[in-house]
Amino acid sequence: MDSSSSSALARQTWELENNIVAVDGSSGAAGADADAIYFYDEAAQVKFQQEKPWAQDPNYFRRVKISALALLKMVVHARSGGTIEVMGLMQGKTEGDTFVVMDAFALPVEGTETRVNAQADANEYMVEYSQTNKQAGRLENVVGWYHSHPGYGCWLSGIDVSTQMDNQQFQEPFLAVVVDPTRTVSAGKVEIGAFRTYPRGYKPPDEPVSEYQTIPLNKIEDFGVHCKQYYALDITYFKSSLDSHLLDLLWNKYWVNTLSSSPLLGNRDYVAGQISDLVEKLEQAENQLAHTRFGSFLLPSQRKKEPEESQLTKITRDSSKITVEQVHGLMSQVIKDILFNSVGHSSRLRASLPDLTEPEPMVES
Amino acid sequence: MTFKLHPLVIVNISDHHTRVKAQTHHTDDGSGSSGGSGGAATAVRVFGCVIGVQRGRTVEIFNSFELLYDPLTHSLDRSFLEKKQELYKKVFPNFYILGWYSTGSEAQESDLQIHKALMDINESPVYVLLNPVINHSQKDLPLTIYESELHIIDGIPQLIFVRSSYTIETVEAERISVDHVAHLKPSDGGSAATQLAAHLTGIHSAIKMLNSRIRIIHQYLVAMQKGRHTGLHLLFMRLPYSILLFDGILAGSFTSDQEKKIGTNLSGRRIAGVENLVAVASHQWSKSPPESNLSARGESRVKARLETETRVGWSSEVQWSEPWCTEVATMDRWLDRGSLPLVEDFPVWDGSDKGGDVEEELGSNS
Repeated sequence: MDSSSSSALARQTWELENNIVAVDGSSGAAGADADAIYFYDEAAQVKFQQEKPWAQDPNYFRRVKISALALLKMVVHARSGGTIEVMGLMQGKTEGDTFVVMDAFALPVEGTETRVNAQADANEYMVEYSQTNKQAGRLENVVGWYHSHPGYGCWLSGIDVSTQMDNQQFQEPFLAVVVDPTRTVSAGKVEIGAFRTYPRGYKPPDEPVSEYQTIPLNKIEDFGVHCKQYYALDITYFKSSLDSHLLDLLWNKYWVNTLSSSPLLGNRDYVAGQISDLVEKLEQAENQLAHTRFGSFLLPSQRKKEPEESQLTKITRDSSKITVEQVHGLMSQVIKDILFNSVGHSSRLRASLPDLTEPEPMVES
Repeated sequence: MTFKLHPLVIVNISDHHTRVKAQTHHTDDGSGSSGGSGGAATAVRVFGCVIGVQRGRTVEIFNSFELLYDPLTHSLDRSFLEKKQELYKKVFPNFYILGWYSTGSEAQESDLQIHKALMDINESPVYVLLNPVINHSQKDLPLTIYESELHIIDGIPQLIFVRSSYTIETVEAERISVDHVAHLKPSDGGSAATQLAAHLTGIHSAIKMLNSRIRIIHQYLVAMQKGRHTGLHLLFMRLPYSILLFDGILAGSFTSDQEKKIGTNLSGRRIAGVENLVAVASHQWSKSPPESNLSARGESRVKARLETETRVGWSSEVQWSEPWCTEVATMDRWLDRGSLPLVEDFPVWDGSDKGGDVEEELGSNS
């Protein structure tokens, strides 16, 4: 079918641009190579843990591979918490400088941003769960924890940083992952970040600033104070051959949901929150500008090596991000409108919108 | 009963199977995993439990977890199940055990035993069977949902498995992550242009799908009009895309009310309404305006058909009255005007999912 070949082409394009590797070796390979990543080699893991190569180099771990299942579970769990932060643990293993996350499970604790020792509450749960899992054939150990920041981005707060520092002292190797389910839904792409902290007192080499993300005003201080104490790891995803096959078939039933989803409606509150936050930032910038009007001569001498972005530039970026998301949502609605409501007046619309891929007329004359 | 399945369950079961397979392939004695049954290395079956929510006749399966299977007694380890259930209850207090799952190509006799054993937790458990064999030629998800029904065979009431149909249900976040992993949307910022391109590509592929399906229906209807098919296969009414289409078209205008209906998943009432509509329309084709002129027998027959054959239970809100006039007229504009057979001529639907057969039929007749 025409659609299948063009979608295959589109998929290949994206596969090159994105770091998703289907773990199935070469097509036609026998079971030995396929899904090899799923095999858990206990002896190798124990040896690696005894060697502790990360003790010498705080930047040792550079990458994370997350399985499709783990991603799905984390996002669904985070979303189910609504506006409350939730947390859970991740199971997997390490391969050289890469963390491999195979699975994730939720912990029955909430409000992790306000309490220091949320993880301790769940210890008993964790022990029991790990035990049952080992029995059921899930042999991997806990290699990290994840929690959600609903609506305010993927970064580590002060409490998170201290929690993770403790983790990295006593439970190495350990990884911290943050998911933002609200932004995932509004942006239409998964918002996730993986981090490791530097040990206390360690001065990291100057790293290039990672991708800018908008932080709400009430959290920006927390972000700024601690942002140098940890670094982000690259995330790639993997899935098994069976997963790929099933997900392909799933698309055949699934595209209806893609078409019927309406992010504008679902994220009303979040968008309203974003806009009001932007307004506050604007006011703050305005006040600052009023104060420094006379001190503008001093600015050149204070300029740092890297030109610090003025507040106004940041605000501009924030607002364009909101706009882009809204435009995406609106575009979907308009497309759907044309698609379904053009019956009867398709010719008129076709003339006025030559750029869009024309939906075929429903009735052939 | 209506079944709704979340993609998480599918990925979960597939992952369970892959894990066990990987582990058994690498260990020499093949007994490395205790999660699967001790079958042959090539046909390791895994077992587990599915959990979710049941509201009336609608069963929504959200999640699943692994279970231990004892090949000697052909039963699932009960204490393990209860322990796991407790753990999951703490995190997901709303979810109950709805049934169990397994991998394999078809349901077996021994499965009935397991099924019966679960009947004390849930009086009508479901059995989800996933076929892990990768067959690139198949177009349908190799996943079947079985219910158990008491049938009288040879005078003896026996429990047998009956296939049920299901829909894929999802929350927005789930959809995005599945899209992300399956269809490889860009994972990080990228420029605004790539984001836009990705977003539009996603919608574009969905629309392409819609378009191709509609063409199939159209061809089918045209062929039927020309007399090559005797019956209006009710199966095409079940297909979700036709419902989406009807919903949008019947709406006429995109009021905010309608947006909500398309934005959230289509309500059961709407689906029942559409199917009702098609039945009415086909029966009343040449008459105008359509009123409930169906004979009592015809009406009850349509009701019975729609109740048993569609996934959605009959909704008492569906009205056989005036408002349908305009909607039938709209549908009229869409389908070529012609005479369709009466309701009485519909072939009896045997309940199997023949989603792909329409294409086959067309292929054979073209």
